[in-house]
Amino acid sequence: MRPRKWSNMPDELPELDPVIHGKLRLAVLSLLIGVEEADFSWLRQKTGSTDGNLGAQMLKLEEAGYVAMEKRFAGRKPQTLYRMTPSGREALAAYVSALKHLLGGAF
Amino acid sequence: MTNFEPDNGTSRDELVQRVALMESMIAEGRRTTTRYGWMFLLWGLVYFTAMLWVIFLPFRNWAWPVCVALALVIGAVVKWRRRAAGGTESLRSRSIESVWKALGTTISLFVVVAIATHHFDASTYFGAILFFLGMAHATSALILRWGVQGVVAAIWWAGGVACFIFTTPAELATIFLTATFFGMILFGLYAMWLERRRASAQVEQHA
Repeated sequence: MRPRKWSNMPDELPELDPVIHGKLRLAVLSLLIGVEEADFSWLRQKTGSTDGNLGAQMLKLEEAGYVAMEKRFAGRKPQTLYRMTPSGREALAAYVSALKHLLGGAF
Repeated sequence: MTNFEPDNGTSRDELVQRVALMESMIAEGRRTTTRYGWMFLLWGLVYFTAMLWVIFLPFRNWAWPVCVALALVIGAVVKWRRRAAGGTESLRSRSIESVWKALGTTISLFVVVAIATHHFDASTYFGAILFFLGMAHATSALILRWGVQGVVAAIWWAGGVACFIFTTPAELATIFLTATFFGMILFGLYAMWLERRRASAQVEQHA
């Protein structure tokens, strides 16, 4: 039987990347992993968050190097596009591994 | 709607919630938001109109160039407006679009070269176009794993075969119009109905 890690939880917590662990940031990364690129308004609609909150969380992900941002125009309308970077994919994979480790068989 | 209020995120329940959140968002991200049904309907109507113009109206040499140009303009305007509204691009959506862009280029080259070099045998001409359309539908059906579009591909291929058996102009026109009706117009309407139903289900899920 796999050992249950839950009793050691406080010691294990640093394994979870705090940048990814935020609910909205985790939601955004999970959305981005299935698409090549996504528009800010699509992410806002899917997460149901506000402009301000989403913008702030996207900035944190960008600063961590987990997402790349590109601004462009569709006609006259400006668009902000995000795509996940290779290091973002690696970080999310490591986060999932850590979650599996912490939750044991419950994952 | 998911609650994104900050929390410590340290308890077992909260970690399990994170897993559920990831699963639901990954599924949401993969759910296609691109709508293609209208394009099938548009091109189906164009094929139908152009063919009827050729049969019943004067200036029939203008039928296809005018109808195709009109469809290209309408298609470009609708796509531009949808792009401005935002969205995503996935490998799958790009693959599907590539199939249809390649088909458009292939048919255009085929038609222009056949007419320009006076190599025009109506049976071969119609048969080839129907086979091309069958191939594009089949590729799309395989990418999407969509049986209904596989049936549509079979309709186009069957039409292609029929073009080599029933070779009079009236028979060829009937085959083309029948395949267009089932393989473009009806299929486009069905796809639009499905897309609308999926969109309503997503709205209900988010409410």
